[in-house]
Amino acid sequence: MKLENEDALDNLVICHRCHTLHKEITIEDGSKACCRECGTVLYRYDSRLAEHGLALSIAALIFFAVANFFPLVKIEILGHEQFITIPKTFVGLFDSGFYIVGLICSFLIFIFPLMIFSIYSVVFLLLKLRIGEKLSKELLVLLSHIMPWSMSDIFLISILVALVKLIGYAQIHMGIAFWALIAFVLLDLYVTRTIHVSEIWMLRKRVFLKEKPE
Amino acid sequence: MIEVKEDELIRCPICEAVNIDKGKENECRRCGSSIYKHQTFQTEKSWAFLITAIIAYIPANLYPMLITKQFGATEGSTILGGVIMLWERGSYPIAAIIFFASIVIPVTKFLILFYLLISVKYPLGKDKKVNKHKLYYMTEVVGPWSMIDVFVVAILAALIHLANIEIVAGTAATAFALSVFFTLLAAHAFDVRLIKENK
Repeated sequence: MKLENEDALDNLVICHRCHTLHKEITIEDGSKACCRECGTVLYRYDSRLAEHGLALSIAALIFFAVANFFPLVKIEILGHEQFITIPKTFVGLFDSGFYIVGLICSFLIFIFPLMIFSIYSVVFLLLKLRIGEKLSKELLVLLSHIMPWSMSDIFLISILVALVKLIGYAQIHMGIAFWALIAFVLLDLYVTRTIHVSEIWMLRKRVFLKEKPE
Repeated sequence: MIEVKEDELIRCPICEAVNIDKGKENECRRCGSSIYKHQTFQTEKSWAFLITAIIAYIPANLYPMLITKQFGATEGSTILGGVIMLWERGSYPIAAIIFFASIVIPVTKFLILFYLLISVKYPLGKDKKVNKHKLYYMTEVVGPWSMIDVFVVAILAALIHLANIEIVAGTAATAFALSVFFTLLAAHAFDVRLIKENK
C-alpha cells in the first residue's frame, strides 16, 4: 500500500471490534459507515456535531446534578423512613470503614461520569469557538482514558436489583433523582454510542485545519 | 511517497487514529500517547494484573459480602449464598443477574484473558477460527458489569441502617471490587498488537 505522507493515514479506519482495515469514504450528512466484516458503526458524519454534542452534554450535566442532589429512593420499614442519594451510597461506605470500595465506587459512579460530561461540553465549546487547539487535544486524551471507567448504567441496574431484593420487606418510593438518573443514563448511552471519540478528533482536525492553511 | 504493508498499521488505543507500527517506540501521531511501549515485557504487566485479580477473587467468594444485623443477630451471606437464597425465595431473574454478574462474567473474563495471554506467546489454537479481536472486545464490554454486586451492597448498606435492622458491607465487597478493578486493568494492559503477530 502506498501513501503520500503520514497524514494520509487519516483516510484509513480500523474497526475497533474486529480490527479490519477500511478506507474512509465521504458519506452523506447524518448517515453512518459500517464495518464490512462485523457491521459495527465505524464513523458517522454530522455537520453540526459540535452543536449537537454541546446540547446533549449540557442536558446530561443538568440531569446529573438533579440525580445527585435529590433523593434516589425512599423506603419505609416498620414506620421508619430512609432515603438515599447517589453521594450517600459511597459516603456510607466510607463511614463504615470500607475506604477502598468507597473510593472505587465514588470514582465509578460520581467523579468519572461528571468528568466525562464536563470534558465533552468543554471540548465541544472549544471546537465551536475554534479556540484551544492544545487544550482540546489534552482533554480528548484524558476523555479516552476515563471513558471505560464510567459505570452509571451499571449503577442504575444495581438500584433496580437492590430494590427487588427489598420487595416484601419495605415500602419503596422512587424519588425525582431516580428518574433523572434514568434520563442521564439514556443520554450517556446515546452520546457514547453515537458520538465516537474518533469523530471528535476528525472534527477537531477539520476545525483547526481551516484556521491555518499552509 | 511511503510504502506500508497493511499489517503494519496499528490503531492507537487512545484516539483510534491509524498509525504505522514502528516497532519499539510508537508515539501516536495524532494524540501523542505512546502505543504499548513495553516491548521488552509484552504480556507480563497484563499477567501481573490478572493474577492479582484472581487472588482477590478467592476471598471475595469465601468471606461474606453482605452482613445483616437483625435484632442483635448477625448473619453474613457470601456471593453464592446470596444467589442461592434469592433463588429459593423465588426471585429467579435477580438470582440469575447476580449469578451472571458476579460469577459467570468474572470467571469467563479470567479464562478469556488467560487464553489470550497464553495464545499470543505460544502457538495455541492458531488454526482455530476464533477471532481473538472479537473475544477481547467482548471482555472489554462485558467486564464492568460484574460491579453490579458491589453497587447493590453499597446501596443496601446506605439504605438500611435502622435501630433494629442494619445491613453492612462485608470483607468480600473490598476483595470483589479490587478483583474487578484489576481485571479491567489487565484487559487494558493487554497489547492488542500481539494478537495480529500470532494470527
